[in-house]
Amino acid sequence: MNTQTMAAGSTSARTKSFLREQMRNIAPFVTLIALVVFFAVASPSFLTMDNLGNILTNISITGIMAVGLTFVILCAEIDLSFAAIANATGIAVAYFTAQESYVNVANIPLSGGMAIVLAMIGCLILGCINALGMTKIGIPSFIMTLAMMQIAAGICALLVRGQILYAVPREVSFLGTESIGGVPWIVLVLALFLAVGHLVLTYTRFGRYVYMVGGNREAAEFSGVNVKLILGSVMVISAFCAGTSGMLGVAYFGSAQQDEFNGFLLDAISAVVVGGTSLFGGRGGIGNTIIGLCVLGVLNNGLDHVQIDSFLKILIRGLILLIALIINVYAQNLRAQQMQSTE
Amino acid sequence: MTTTESQVSSSEAAPIRLKMEGISKSFGGVAALREVDFELKEGEVHGLVGENGAGKSTMMKIIAGVHTGYTGRMLLDGKQVHFHSARDALDAGIGMVHQELSIIPDLSVAENVYLGKQPTKNGVVDWKAMREGAKRQLQMLGINVDPRETMGSLPIGLQQLIELARVLYSGARIIILDEPTSALSPPEVRRLFEVLRGVKASGRSIVFISHFLDDILEVSDTVTIFRNGRRVETKPVPQINKSWVIEQMIGRGHEGLEETYTGQIALDSKPQAPVVLSANGLSSGRAFTDISLQVRAGEVLGIYGFMGCGQLELARTLFGKLKPEAGGLVIDGKPVKFKNTAQARRAGIAFVPESRRSMLFYHEPVFKNVSISSLGRISRLWLKPAVERSIADKQAKALNIRPANVKALLGSLSGGNQQKVALAKWLAHPTKVLVLSEPTRGMDVGAKDDVVKIVRGLRDQGMAVVVVSAEPETVLSLADRIVVMKKGRIVQEFASETISKDRLLEAA
Repeated sequence: MNTQTMAAGSTSARTKSFLREQMRNIAPFVTLIALVVFFAVASPSFLTMDNLGNILTNISITGIMAVGLTFVILCAEIDLSFAAIANATGIAVAYFTAQESYVNVANIPLSGGMAIVLAMIGCLILGCINALGMTKIGIPSFIMTLAMMQIAAGICALLVRGQILYAVPREVSFLGTESIGGVPWIVLVLALFLAVGHLVLTYTRFGRYVYMVGGNREAAEFSGVNVKLILGSVMVISAFCAGTSGMLGVAYFGSAQQDEFNGFLLDAISAVVVGGTSLFGGRGGIGNTIIGLCVLGVLNNGLDHVQIDSFLKILIRGLILLIALIINVYAQNLRAQQMQSTE
Repeated sequence: MTTTESQVSSSEAAPIRLKMEGISKSFGGVAALREVDFELKEGEVHGLVGENGAGKSTMMKIIAGVHTGYTGRMLLDGKQVHFHSARDALDAGIGMVHQELSIIPDLSVAENVYLGKQPTKNGVVDWKAMREGAKRQLQMLGINVDPRETMGSLPIGLQQLIELARVLYSGARIIILDEPTSALSPPEVRRLFEVLRGVKASGRSIVFISHFLDDILEVSDTVTIFRNGRRVETKPVPQINKSWVIEQMIGRGHEGLEETYTGQIALDSKPQAPVVLSANGLSSGRAFTDISLQVRAGEVLGIYGFMGCGQLELARTLFGKLKPEAGGLVIDGKPVKFKNTAQARRAGIAFVPESRRSMLFYHEPVFKNVSISSLGRISRLWLKPAVERSIADKQAKALNIRPANVKALLGSLSGGNQQKVALAKWLAHPTKVLVLSEPTRGMDVGAKDDVVKIVRGLRDQGMAVVVVSAEPETVLSLADRIVVMKKGRIVQEFASETISKDRLLEAA
């Protein structure tokens, strides 16, 4: 089909083609609206300002991780290690902070600033190892980050040795627990990360490369883009976001311990994918991730407001993720079909 | 390699195994075969030659059951048949070894030979019987290889022979080989020919498709020549020679094909112009060996060779996509070593691969496709979409890209316009050496003309251009100087002289 027949196509055909193209953006949004309406009707306590604050606070830690993960998935890669890296960073920052006398861990107290810097350097090193393993050695990201997940969990285990740390640097606990004008700082940090992530992806050269590498890696390479540098960078970005959320998370929870962040692995991946960012790369973005986070936040929170078996909640979340995956792949196939018919 | 003694053995009296009558086939309105007759005798090797798109592969794919919709009659041993799948054809005793081998590299030799038909004992695979059977099968073909070895670790030539063994084992009485020698070294070719002679002696028939006329003439008993979807000649080998075959293939102009250059082309090389890029003794595995060449400013260097002669890999090496095992590149007198394509781009090398799919972003607008290679010059950190669009607008106008709207999605453009976008991305960037791989493949005449004009324009501005192609017309229409590659080596260079297509074909 050539351009003329495209242009000659009826308005309804064009609308249809637009809907196909936007399927991955529309579906998550409709899901979000439907969930909000459902819970608003089902429970009077759901649609209140207080509860809105709860939802936002609850998605903050997931959200900061999801920003980094969005970069990775846009490149058609995956990071399975970010939750473990978050955990390790959170533990590290507590490990370098003076603990109460009843904490039975041989830690190394440093000044708050030093602790933060050391912890962040640590998480960046883990991100760099991911990047090097993928680009220099050629390990697929799925396997590389699976190994890193284990390594980071091992670092956590060695540092805390089954104990629990409580104290974190004052700066971290401030951001993790305090509020300004009724808005928790952690929500503002999330907003900052989302905003910067969006700016970088949409308005910078690096962001363009991320989309192009994800859209057609071979074409990017044949256009003279340093594909390995881009892939390595997104892994480091993911680790940086994970590290930040890990530190704030430890402050928010009030403790640092083994396996604290395991649940966030699935949550953040769900948020990105439910939002409609393509698992095949090149499509989606922070806007999608925001919608995905809201869907997840509303769902988790809403299920608490209606009378429902708490064990059933887990199943429902799994089903929502499955549906999102189906839509994600289906939207991709629709586009592939369209591509073929226009060639 | 020239005609040898073995052909004389074919007897005129051998019964006809396969007869194709009045076969026509078209793809989307374009006729690929028109009323073609073809006969295959028992115990003969039948060589099939013709240019790309002449219809020889289409014919063989009909015989092997790959193409099922066609008109005409197919008679196997005198009975009319119509295959609905490759499985059908195989069951009737017709097997094809495709150019892309269908072996499984991670499995053992024995498993590959018995793929899908493993011998079983009490419901489990009988490994011992399989190994011994495979060894026997291969030895019958004169191949001595441990059946436990991993297929992927063997050289291509052996893999090909083992695939042949599999087709034979499956009971095929007619075997079609598509370009079997293109990836083989001379000793491997000799071994293949020995095997084929043995197969022939057992009464089976072989169709041998190849661009390598020397190979065809050496191993075939009969040669059939295709041109433009028609069979032009079938003759027994002792009566013909290479130049006659080439003449039949090209057709001496009376077909009136615009892009067929049968006349003399005067090469206008510029020996005084400064050398921009030189390659010194480049080698890369099995792809190419000891390639040395120079590209001068304001000159188009054509690299011609049959498919699989290593020219595609050479082009990728110039652009830093592949790393040479030996040898090096020199740009403007300075030796360079590319770690990746980004470094090659920065050094002023541009590359357009043979497949548009691996060059373009179909779901992105045209202007993003054009700007991708020069983004670093447009902006350091923040994108400037307005600048990008105006640069793309300029290129679209200069190259006559339709539609002129650079916000249109690339996927909505026609193939020829997409190819122009692939070129445009390098024109927005300061390019010293432009490497084009098959720049006009699959394009209609008008679009081809446009590309030729664009390339000539760039050359006249002083750019050095390398055109790599397996189509002689492409090289002849663009190049000022031509090197011919054959099985990974440069075998001849044409400069400052007149040349014609048959001389080029003869050299390759």
